Amino acid sequence: MTKVVIDPITRIEGHLRITCTVENGKVTDAWNTATMFRGFEIFMKNRDPMGIWQFAQRICGVCPTPHAFNSVRAVETAMGMDKMPDSARLIRNMMEATQLGYDHILWFYQLNGFDYVNVPNSLKANPTTPSLKAVQAQVKAIVDSGQLGPFANMYWDHPGYALPPDLDLEITAHYLQALEIQQKACDAGAMLGGRYPMINNYVPGGVTQMPGIEEIEYYKSQMADIKTFIDTVMVPDLLAIAPYYLDLATFGKGVGNFLTWGVLDEKSQDPYDRLFPRGGIFDGKLELQKVDLNDVRQYTKSSWYDDGVGAGKHPLDVGQEPIKFTKMPPMDGEALPEGKYDWTQAVRYGKEDRPMEVGPLAQVLVAYLAGRPEVKKLVDDTLAAVGQAGNPTVLLSNLGRVAARVIKAKVNSDNALRWADELLDNIGKGETRIYNELDFSKDGTGQSGWDAPRGSLAHYTKIKGGKIDTYAAVPPSNWNLSPRDDKGVRGPVEEALVGTPVADPARPLEILRTVHTFDP
Amino acid sequence: MSLFPGLSRRDFLKTCGALAAVIGLSGPMAAPKVANALQQLAKRPAIVWSCFQECLGCSVNLLQSRKPGPANLILQQISLNYHEAVMAAAGSQAEKSFRETVDSKDFYYVVEGGIATGIPEACTIGGKTSMDICKDTYQKAKATIAIGTCACYGGIQAAKPNPSGSKGVADFLKENAGIANPTVINSPRCPGNADDTVAILLYAIVKKKLPELDDLGRPRFLFGQLVHDNCERRGHFDDGEFVEVFGDEGSDNGWCLYKVGCKGPVAYAPCPKTRWNANVSWPVAAGGPCIGCSEPDFWDKQSPFYEKAPGIRLPGDITPTQVGVALGAATAVGIGAHFVGQAATGRLFKGAPVEDKEEDTGSKEGGK
Repeated sequence: MTKVVIDPITRIEGHLRITCTVENGKVTDAWNTATMFRGFEIFMKNRDPMGIWQFAQRICGVCPTPHAFNSVRAVETAMGMDKMPDSARLIRNMMEATQLGYDHILWFYQLNGFDYVNVPNSLKANPTTPSLKAVQAQVKAIVDSGQLGPFANMYWDHPGYALPPDLDLEITAHYLQALEIQQKACDAGAMLGGRYPMINNYVPGGVTQMPGIEEIEYYKSQMADIKTFIDTVMVPDLLAIAPYYLDLATFGKGVGNFLTWGVLDEKSQDPYDRLFPRGGIFDGKLELQKVDLNDVRQYTKSSWYDDGVGAGKHPLDVGQEPIKFTKMPPMDGEALPEGKYDWTQAVRYGKEDRPMEVGPLAQVLVAYLAGRPEVKKLVDDTLAAVGQAGNPTVLLSNLGRVAARVIKAKVNSDNALRWADELLDNIGKGETRIYNELDFSKDGTGQSGWDAPRGSLAHYTKIKGGKIDTYAAVPPSNWNLSPRDDKGVRGPVEEALVGTPVADPARPLEILRTVHTFDP
Repeated sequence: MSLFPGLSRRDFLKTCGALAAVIGLSGPMAAPKVANALQQLAKRPAIVWSCFQECLGCSVNLLQSRKPGPANLILQQISLNYHEAVMAAAGSQAEKSFRETVDSKDFYYVVEGGIATGIPEACTIGGKTSMDICKDTYQKAKATIAIGTCACYGGIQAAKPNPSGSKGVADFLKENAGIANPTVINSPRCPGNADDTVAILLYAIVKKKLPELDDLGRPRFLFGQLVHDNCERRGHFDDGEFVEVFGDEGSDNGWCLYKVGCKGPVAYAPCPKTRWNANVSWPVAAGGPCIGCSEPDFWDKQSPFYEKAPGIRLPGDITPTQVGVALGAATAVGIGAHFVGQAATGRLFKGAPVEDKEEDTGSKEGGK
């Protein structure tokens, strides 16, 4: 038995250590450890409810927008505002579309790319076009300089890199293109929100300002460019790479339970109506379930808080006070993590305490089962393209996660202009209300669930005496990178790692791949 | 990359000898010393970028940089040897990149995020605490830049009650690492603005010295003026035209956001001039009040964010009232100077409305 520890896991948001045991070339057990704690739920107490969303945004600098959305919605629902003004709904959809527009592109190329694309190998390609020759020359200059920068010390000679040099070169060129293109989505978000990241145009009650016509047109032109990139570069890249990595379909199955709160509201503002509708899938059975924000339970037996802090309680009843003494799990030696080994609290769903996988795969599977024609067609086309027509269960794998994120990105950008057009329609009809003033003199409890790019995100708050009495956030990485719960059941990433083949424990590329498919 | 393309080695050394004389070096080692230094310059400057207690927003903003863009910056201008969000290698391989660069002592250090001093285990990388990593790396770096308010002053996780004892780099080095006068260039805002941070980095590399810093360690060329002094809505402040409720007539007309909480009068930052995301916009232009994110402890001192900044007199009354104690001396000077300037330019508008003594609709507490 070989113990493999990777710390830091790079190309993620946050701080993560992964520990695995490898026997006979496969992972037999796994533990994920978040190695950073900040204590949001502690310092958000006693704050002013109007401004709490500014705190909440800083939970994540990669995806501040869905945190901002859920925070203002939690405060709004606590104060009895169940529905947003329709134009505020549309502006918030546009903001979310820009968030998703940049985030999934960034993941595919910048965060995930080097697991599959061998940049130095592109020097063996024989490009015939001037642009690819220029990219190759750029790579050569970096390699020749001896200063490899972000490419240094990677195990590029791992046998798991399967692309021919010409494809390595092409995708390297697209990596550089993606760095420029993602800016267009962030610029569109900044045009409406003031800057990206950390937007400034939300408040509980609505949004601060109706965008001007020229700002809406700018958003449309930027998001049209995002759509073009996804359609002409990102989707073809997925289909070009997939045939070389079909083994991704054979591992990373995970827990087989999926959860999405849904994202992007239609006019009804019913979460089951959303562009990506709310729903759940239990025990690998492809049947749609309804899900409830209040059926979320947290456990702390494996985390650096007292056991009693979690114990299956609702997020609003769980604290975040860490235990006095912490002991980091061992890096060296034979000892494996045991007892408390994670800053992240375990989160489970329903009285069955199911660990739930969240993210684009959950969103796409639920939308597929809900019969959404756009998603159905894309899933069916993708399955056919990889020779798996009529076999959606093959998506319950690493391959499924990668493909689903690209499908999700496409559906988002296909609809991004629609929100803007509906807003222009509202403006034309004089339906320009964007804000309702809330009355904070009464107490209330509120909540909101709306998926971040990484998956299910929910915020809960209790407001008393005009102040935040309690605040809780359950982000997607809380679900996916959950440690064992009080019954010892592994979290989704831990479970997905079991069975991952490892050709060489000293160069655990396959472990990185499985972890990265969750986009932590 | 050659600074003297086309020169033979012999002629190159002769040139170095001449340069050595100019800068006052003499003796047989003078020319090789200069040659060595010049050849060092021909390498791209190596950067180690540490992420500690952070949200990664500063790095996301780095990817939005335009002067130059991220591809050009990362691949042609600098050698980004260590950045966990970007680098290909992980675990012990990433550690190797880190050690090789840091032990060379030939690199610049950028820090994002706060240092966990109260609970050291609240931030570890590769089994080492942020405290140990930061102290060791600072001591070996040619210069250290703290990007974002977290790395400068502790930031959001340092908001009361600061559960993990998070601190900015300079404060950590002074108070916990026993380094009496650390030199850290602070580039605050939340997120940190990468275009400005790149400007500071290039300033240090090219001029081989640090820009002039204010009392808070911020370059004066970026943080010397109040947001209020350069705001495009300033004319509306002067004319007494305010947004009272979001979405009202003032909101549609882009009026001043002072009454809905704008902290522009007490925040030193270049936002209205340099703006964000390729000049596309900035927070106030989106119709939301400035939250003063360039200032230390702004999470506690500038909130409630949608309540008026205390002690700001509207035009029409040139006698400044007592400024709220919490704002501190620097900002008080800023406000006083602001009003002196107002009177001097004759911009005070006679008959402009004076701030109401009773509170406006919607706010239940006085601005504190």
